[in-house]
Amino acid sequence: MRVLKLWRYPTNWAIFRLDDRLLLILMAIIVGNCSGVASVILNRSLLAMSGWLHHFRSHWWVFVLPAIGAALSCLFLEKIVKEGAGHGVPEVIYSVSRYGGLLRFRSSFSRLISSCLTIGTGGSAGPEAPVVISGAAIGSNIAKYFSLNDRQRVTLVGCGAAGAISSIFNAPIAGMVFAIEVIVGEWKSVNIVPIAIASVAGTEISRILQGNQIPFGHHLFKIDLLNVFACLGLAVLAAAASILLTRMLRSMHTISHKVSGPLWLRAAIGGCAVGIIGLFLPVVLGEGYHAVEALIGGRYSQGLVFVALASFAKIAATALTLGWGGSGGIFAPCLVIGSLVGVTYHHFLSVIWSSALWANEGYYALLGMAGLISGMLQAPLTGIFLIIEITGGYEVILPLILVSAVTTTLCHYIEPASYYLKDLVEHGHLLRPGTDARVLSDLNVPELIERDCIIVKQNMLLRDFIHIVQKSHRNYFPVADDKTGNFLGIIHLDDIRPYLFNPVMYDAVFLGQIMNTRVEVVHPNDDLLEVLRKMDVKGLFSMPVVMNNRFVGLISKATILDQYRKELMVQTSH
Amino acid sequence: MDHQLLHIFRNTPVGRETLLQSIYFCKKVGASPVIYVPKSTKFLMYFENDVVQIDLDSSYLTAPETAVAHATELVEAGGLNVAFLEPKHYTASTLPDIPTTFDYMCCPRSVSDLTSKIGLGYIGPRVRRIVRSARFPVLITSSVFKPWKSIAVFFGGSANAINALRLGFQISRVSGMPLDVFTQLENSPPELYRQVVKDDNLEEEMDRYVNDWHFFENKVFEENLYDVPHDAIVVLGAFGHGVIRNFVFGSKMEKIQSTLSNSLLIAGPNYTSIR
Amino acid sequence: MKLTINEVARCLRLPVTTVDRWIRQGRIPIQKSSNGYIVNESALEKWAAMYRLPFSLPKKINTQLQEKRLENLLPAMDRGGVIYGIKGDDVETVLRGAVEKMQLPLASSKEKLYQCLLEREHLTSTGIGKGVAIPHPHDPLPDTFEKPVITTCFLEKPVDFNAVDDRLVFVMFILLSPSIKIHLHLLSRLSFCVRDNTFVEFLKTYPDSSAYFSKITEFENILDRADNS
Repeated sequence: MRVLKLWRYPTNWAIFRLDDRLLLILMAIIVGNCSGVASVILNRSLLAMSGWLHHFRSHWWVFVLPAIGAALSCLFLEKIVKEGAGHGVPEVIYSVSRYGGLLRFRSSFSRLISSCLTIGTGGSAGPEAPVVISGAAIGSNIAKYFSLNDRQRVTLVGCGAAGAISSIFNAPIAGMVFAIEVIVGEWKSVNIVPIAIASVAGTEISRILQGNQIPFGHHLFKIDLLNVFACLGLAVLAAAASILLTRMLRSMHTISHKVSGPLWLRAAIGGCAVGIIGLFLPVVLGEGYHAVEALIGGRYSQGLVFVALASFAKIAATALTLGWGGSGGIFAPCLVIGSLVGVTYHHFLSVIWSSALWANEGYYALLGMAGLISGMLQAPLTGIFLIIEITGGYEVILPLILVSAVTTTLCHYIEPASYYLKDLVEHGHLLRPGTDARVLSDLNVPELIERDCIIVKQNMLLRDFIHIVQKSHRNYFPVADDKTGNFLGIIHLDDIRPYLFNPVMYDAVFLGQIMNTRVEVVHPNDDLLEVLRKMDVKGLFSMPVVMNNRFVGLISKATILDQYRKELMVQTSH
Repeated sequence: MDHQLLHIFRNTPVGRETLLQSIYFCKKVGASPVIYVPKSTKFLMYFENDVVQIDLDSSYLTAPETAVAHATELVEAGGLNVAFLEPKHYTASTLPDIPTTFDYMCCPRSVSDLTSKIGLGYIGPRVRRIVRSARFPVLITSSVFKPWKSIAVFFGGSANAINALRLGFQISRVSGMPLDVFTQLENSPPELYRQVVKDDNLEEEMDRYVNDWHFFENKVFEENLYDVPHDAIVVLGAFGHGVIRNFVFGSKMEKIQSTLSNSLLIAGPNYTSIR
Repeated sequence: MKLTINEVARCLRLPVTTVDRWIRQGRIPIQKSSNGYIVNESALEKWAAMYRLPFSLPKKINTQLQEKRLENLLPAMDRGGVIYGIKGDDVETVLRGAVEKMQLPLASSKEKLYQCLLEREHLTSTGIGKGVAIPHPHDPLPDTFEKPVITTCFLEKPVDFNAVDDRLVFVMFILLSPSIKIHLHLLSRLSFCVRDNTFVEFLKTYPDSSAYFSKITEFENILDRADNS
């Protein structure tokens, strides 16, 4: 029985007690495999679903299909699993910031099913974000099962996310970089090694179950200097497209909230609109990998205007699907929009300067994809590595880096926070380790209270107070009411210093007369950031902590500095 | 005096009974109530190693305009200061995070089922998860308010039971109420249980606080429960012995909660008396 | 050595809740097991050194606490004893006379002590009024005295000490302490006694040792009560 209990607490095993890196690597293998399996399941179900619904495409009412899918997914999330829609990757980052990566168990499978319903029926969303959430939740719950601590759990959440992305794209480096850049947020060896192992595990599982294929074919492009410079223009266009997408998503979200009615109805309306667009431009439906394949291969034989229209339409469709309540991610739509934008740009260049030797349009499609991903996620490394790995081509790396970097910078100027991080930053929830906000959120008032003040009564005479001052160690003396014990005010030594040496006043002055009643107080449940702000505004260095009208202790900037430093040291150099 | 009790207010007559019990408990143990009036049916509680999503049943959202006034009225009638909890962090716009740094929490037997389903023998799955993960003891109230006049601790000898015993001592000390300990003799003599108490250095406190230590000889546990006074608050640990001890409540616990209608104060496995 | 979590918190000079939180977040190398914490002292020391956090072992903290308790007047006075009938007309003579009669560990240090007392007297008079003087060396002599010694010396006839109130001094309390802290502590207690006129009147009766010591005890009790209230 003891053995059975022991295996659930691996952190207490002697080999792992001092150095848990080996433990994390073992766990990473398990987590990577599980999240890999999850993404393979989603991939397969999407293929199955689109195959199954394919023969409905010839009917006239086919535009209702996305509506049904979105409505069903909404209902599933709301009623059956009771989880809100569309919170996704920001929720993972929020939990990693604040609670050491604790995620609900239901998140491991709920998004898989709901996004399958949305995307399989034609909604314009991507399967990557749901798979990331599932992987992260799997990692978190495995950590919970083995009673790991916060730091280890965050690593496992990263492992889950990495395994998921690696598996769905057959791209281990991209998975690793995404997990570290976006989810975990800090590049430390203690994180990188397990995440790398998990990526490998996820990729392996995917290769075993689905075969080793690069998602999009490898094409060789001849690139000369002219084309490398031309891609700067593409970067600008891609930045514009990502900003447009972000703004549209947000406005759709706001508009949909103004419509009254149950959530699934809104999702249905969004889905209907997508379906209608899809009737005319089938490229906008679903995740769009076939379209991307065609665009990269240069087989997309439409003119400039059509392609431009298609990119706008895809942006609109994605905004409609996700903004109105559908469930899915933006990775895949970004790829499609990016390649459409790239091809648009190529056609545009060909029209303007038809004599120059422009590279194949597939080349620009590739760069467009990288630009969109980097712009939306503001994660340039993820964009670069992802494109290289999913197209198997390393030759385009120079323009790729250029486009990613430029797009990220441009987008950063206009939208300081990426799509995933925007809400978090707005509410102050993005707490990367080692930052001021993180340290302040970890410390709390009860840990900083100093309890060595002597409490005096308001009816005490100055004469007796002198004795108290004699034996005290502090400059502040809180005054409490005789009968109720309620906190009335505070006396600072400076207030009585002029009278301390005047014996005539000893019997003539009550403490109630010299105390300061209009004093700012702090409650033990207050946020430390708020407390510091109060101190800064009023220029105070100490404030009394009062709970239920009782004086509990004093909080001072000196102690805060001491604890803050210790906290920062422990957080950063691990 | 700086202990806090979390209470989730249901603005219905059933909720009023629960709140009255919380208020009485707070008065006796010197805690102050912090009341959360829910604005949405879902919220998250992030514990040390688990995140529990509580889906409240819709009766918790009854008449929100009068909820604050009703709660204030009841608490102030009890002579305590009322404090309301405003969640500061939200996992999602409709999913607030409720902090878990309280010293006690008051729950009815189930938070996510209709009031009609709450009865003896049923403790909802969410409440069970809270008990399992929380560092604070959970007060599961009976359906009607009755002031308790004594404390009854069930001691089974396990580590959880020691925790419950410590909790009982603390409550007895602060409230001044008499304390009785009850043990069901399985196959071991009373000396074994006394030895366990001695090993944990609790003998002195046993002598100081405990009125009487009842040992049940009768093998049928449910019949013995009649000896527990009707106006006592029952303090016990949630989990017992056995391989699956951390997954399900102990068998004694299940029997107690299906037979007794007293208020139960349950000390989960993570309860520590650091405070 | 098995340390409890409270001891670890004390060694690190942090509140227990902070240590608890660090264990949960994985920042300190302590693991939580089902019935307590697994603490490895040497690993903790290494960890604390790596992060430049103070980590002093509990033994050291105890000795620091012990030093804080200071002695009161009675033991010091008992050690010094009471000397009656010191002859002399001026400050130097009575001081020399007193030092001669005092019991010191080494005979040679008497000269040194006399010089120290005289030096201090020349800085400013130690006559604090009401006929009482408190000669003492300006700097403490820790190598000569481990524990404080107060010698009460009654003079044969009152001598002019240039006291603050110009009254002639009839009793000297020679204060010898190993540290300034102890000196100030004893001085404060002594001055509390002297402030009371009944005590000074009592001294003028040239009481014998037992009556004298019991009076001192009385005053010390009043002081203690005032301290603890």
